[in-house]
Amino acid sequence: MTEIGSSRAWRKFLRHRPAVIASVVIAVYVAVALSVLLTGWITLEDTSARVGPANLPGFGLLPDPEQRMDNAEWLAERIESLCDRADPEEALAGFRDLGSRRLADLNVDEFRRRIDAIWDTWDRLAELDDVNEAARSPETGPEVREGLAELDRRCEALLQPVSETGSVWRTLELLLGTDRQGRSIFLRAVYSIRVAVMIGLVTGLLAVAIGTLAGLAAGYFGGITDGIITWLYSTFASIPGIVLLIVLAFMFSGGELDASLNRVTGGLLRTVLGGRLDETLIPVYISFAITFWIGPCRVIRGETMKIRELEYVQAAVVMGFGRMRLLLRHVLPNVSHLMLINFSLLFIAAVKSEVILSYLGLGVQNGPSWGLMISQSGQEVMKGFFWQIGSATGFMFVLVLAFNILTDALQDVFDPKHV
Amino acid sequence: MWTYLIRRLAWNVPVYLGILLFIMIVLRVRDPVFARLPKNATEQDKADIRAELGLDQPFVAQYRDLLRQVCTLSFDQESWSHPGQTVGQIMKRSIGPSLAITVPALVFTTVLSVTVALCSAWFRGRLPDRLLVLTSVLGMSISFLVYIILGQYFAAFRMREITGIDLFAISYDPEVSGVGGMEFVTTVWPRYYLLPVLTSVVVAMGYDTRFYRAVMVEESSRDYIITARAKGAPQWRIMFVHMLKNAMIPIITRVATTLPFLITGSFLLERYFGIPGMGNQLLLAVESLDFPVVQAFTAVFAALYIATILLTDILYALVDPRVRLS
Amino acid sequence: MSSASPSSELPTAAPTARPVLSVRNLTTQFRTDRGLLTAVDSVSFDVFEGEVLGIVGESGCGKSVTARSIMRLLPEHITRYGPDSRVEFSGCNLLELKERRMRRIRGDRIAMIFQEPMTALNPVYTIGAQLDEALRYHTSLSRRERRRRVLELLERVEIPSPERRRREYPHQLSGGMRQRIVIAMALACEPDVLIADEPTTALDVTIQAQILRLMDELRKTSQTAIVLITHDLGVVAQMCDRVVVMYAGQVVESAGVDDLFHDAAHPYTRALLESIPRSGARRTGRLATIPGMVPGLDEMPAACRFAERCSGREDRCTRIAPRLTDITDARSVRCHFPMHQAAGETH
Repeated sequence: MTEIGSSRAWRKFLRHRPAVIASVVIAVYVAVALSVLLTGWITLEDTSARVGPANLPGFGLLPDPEQRMDNAEWLAERIESLCDRADPEEALAGFRDLGSRRLADLNVDEFRRRIDAIWDTWDRLAELDDVNEAARSPETGPEVREGLAELDRRCEALLQPVSETGSVWRTLELLLGTDRQGRSIFLRAVYSIRVAVMIGLVTGLLAVAIGTLAGLAAGYFGGITDGIITWLYSTFASIPGIVLLIVLAFMFSGGELDASLNRVTGGLLRTVLGGRLDETLIPVYISFAITFWIGPCRVIRGETMKIRELEYVQAAVVMGFGRMRLLLRHVLPNVSHLMLINFSLLFIAAVKSEVILSYLGLGVQNGPSWGLMISQSGQEVMKGFFWQIGSATGFMFVLVLAFNILTDALQDVFDPKHV
Repeated sequence: MWTYLIRRLAWNVPVYLGILLFIMIVLRVRDPVFARLPKNATEQDKADIRAELGLDQPFVAQYRDLLRQVCTLSFDQESWSHPGQTVGQIMKRSIGPSLAITVPALVFTTVLSVTVALCSAWFRGRLPDRLLVLTSVLGMSISFLVYIILGQYFAAFRMREITGIDLFAISYDPEVSGVGGMEFVTTVWPRYYLLPVLTSVVVAMGYDTRFYRAVMVEESSRDYIITARAKGAPQWRIMFVHMLKNAMIPIITRVATTLPFLITGSFLLERYFGIPGMGNQLLLAVESLDFPVVQAFTAVFAALYIATILLTDILYALVDPRVRLS
Repeated sequence: MSSASPSSELPTAAPTARPVLSVRNLTTQFRTDRGLLTAVDSVSFDVFEGEVLGIVGESGCGKSVTARSIMRLLPEHITRYGPDSRVEFSGCNLLELKERRMRRIRGDRIAMIFQEPMTALNPVYTIGAQLDEALRYHTSLSRRERRRRVLELLERVEIPSPERRRREYPHQLSGGMRQRIVIAMALACEPDVLIADEPTTALDVTIQAQILRLMDELRKTSQTAIVLITHDLGVVAQMCDRVVVMYAGQVVESAGVDDLFHDAAHPYTRALLESIPRSGARRTGRLATIPGMVPGLDEMPAACRFAERCSGREDRCTRIAPRLTDITDARSVRCHFPMHQAAGETH
């Protein structure tokens, strides 16, 4: 048993280089999450806006010829249909689905002319049986590739960046490509950091707080308190965690819960949390906290019972120290390392469970999350498009790995006997 | 020993009653009547549906009815979303597919990861061991869902495209549900179940290997190992005779605690591959607010869970001579 | 022989006899995160048939590592032995032996007794099975013969009702009984050398006496050489013929047991002796303690390792490392200023 205040333990922790790197990584994630939360440099709208064609690869790589033709077709058709509106000028000015770019300042006729040019090139390419095959073959290859480049150029000529800084933002938007609906994968993945960190922090803190309180009370007071708390956690433990999560998440996801919470507290939740994203997370927080408090409770109850029997605690009892004081001064510091380790474990569990719940449609409802991104990428993968699943997995992998390494190091340092 | 078991059982009665109570209360957070109302429903319609579902009964009566079903083991309540079928029938139908995934997965995972952990302990601190520890931490940091998606794509889809070998089905075919016996084992299982099983094994290996390795490393640093070596015992005998039997205690605990989960099946795998097992059935029931199914499933699971804890205690006593049940 | 002449040869109790076990310049190092740590530094000694050699020192001085190096029980992948280190036993250097051949020596020709009888036995196997093991590996006895031998061994270590005890598990036995079992295990194949690593430390005083008496009897009846590792000088006085005193991984003094107790040459040995309570000794009011602490493995001074704590320290002690030097035929000491009475005469 090592106290969390022990500087020797922390020195040992600092010597553990992977753990230090992991802590830095976690700090960066939390910083990004906070910056998104506080400054809003990525808004929920940014993540749901169409920034370009569907399924663009990242790092400026070109999609396969078929996809490039589809993308050109999409753009040409959209603009063409706008030109056919009753008030084409206004319709064109209101065209938004291009992310940080907008349409060039051209009149409707010029647009028509340019779109016709696009269709010319497009038709020429469309005559081929299999564009992908033709682009690869040595005979037709150069010609087809030239045609595709021309197509891209002509599409590009319809657009212009919003401003100078817009080009940096544009690079970010397309850094990791776009998903099936043409949304920026990078912006979605980064915004999801905020979602994941919120879920991890809130549920971790809630569950550890509940678990610690219950565990301390059960272990320290014993008797009937212990009986009730043990009964309670045995009850929860006998329902499989995932079943509990699913049932709770579904039951609370109807919106009645946060509506009634808001009603009772006079709109407190809405004021504090603001966006519609966070409101939909409340069922997730609640079901995670109810499911996860058992772990820390059990461990801390056991440890408290051990500490209670220690001589110095017994001595303090004999000397007539108050129970609360004893609990806070002597017992709590001695279980604080377990709180930290459990928090770290629960953070991982929460981030991973979010994926499962989101896949089942019970997790994040509005806005992006790694879980939703991974769930949505199933069909893209079938078409050989890995940017969305890769990005979401990558972002999540780094965070979870960092927490795994951190947990290991914490256990090594503070709880070496743990298997 | 018998008195011990009876005492433990007696202690678990209030726990079990608590579980039933808890699940019934949680379910009633949402009103199932709304979802079943026709358009322009009147108050009368509402009351009718309520009466039809048995929700007009007082809570205590509903609780008593669930308790009766559990005690008599006859889950004869009709499912709300599958009219004409009792909960018992649904369970009976879906338990097979679940077990077809979970049982082989548990066996493969345990045997493999214990073996790998032993090897790792053998090479403790050297390259193979370090690699293994690294791989399992890396593997644990990737979501289950990613394994499923990529597993399906590469093992079922790409393999067929590239090599032309059509080994795994991309997803379950309801047509094969009725197949049983030898035909199931030889044709249906490999085609529709093997891939989910393998995915499950790969995912679980990371966690299990790490755990078992920690157990083995802990055992290998014990004094009796040195004593055995000082007697001139060969390495294999130290590992398989001395270490393994001691390590059986944590191994048994871990395997036993996963036993009840065999019947719940894997929600994710069943949903993704469309396998009509317990997990999938339970999800559907939750989504359609089919209270009888959710309640009965939870009740059966919890009973099994409590039973396995008792079973674990008995197994301890068999393996470890120090343990006396009292 | 002049006391100034350095020696690699150690004094022998009976110059004509050949040692059963001969340790020469044993250096044991561990590769750790903190670099290569030397736990045992050029330790040499001989053990003769039927004698008890004591190795004495504080905890952490390298006694146990020495014992485990002889048996090659240290984790091989992090352990390194010095290039000129030798452990000679029946004509070969144990440090260079292949694991397979080493295994045939362990438990058969050289056996070991451990400090903690509580943990040294495998909790999940019966006493009989564990006693049987060494016999299985090293003899070609049949199952029935082995069983008879197990009972014999139990009787020999004075375990009452051996037939019943054979079928019991370690946790059913008391600490003293378990240590007898450990001894019986070590004796199973009548080893030439028995290494006892603090065999009585974990036991009650009365049980300690019984175990020591038992070991003494065994030595007398079977002529087994015993290396007795202990920090308890009382045990040394009672059991040993010769003593090697270790400090911080090095041998600082070796002598016959009488010489050591009456005329210790190394200040560390003296300090050790002064720290045992004795009824016959002058009453000075309080027990002497040795100030300071043993230096850690990663902070060994280059000069005399005891200098820091030595009452007779002089300038030279902190600059030059003393070498192990013979002072008479049967004794050697690692000190610039040895304190024994004979030193004055030979100078």
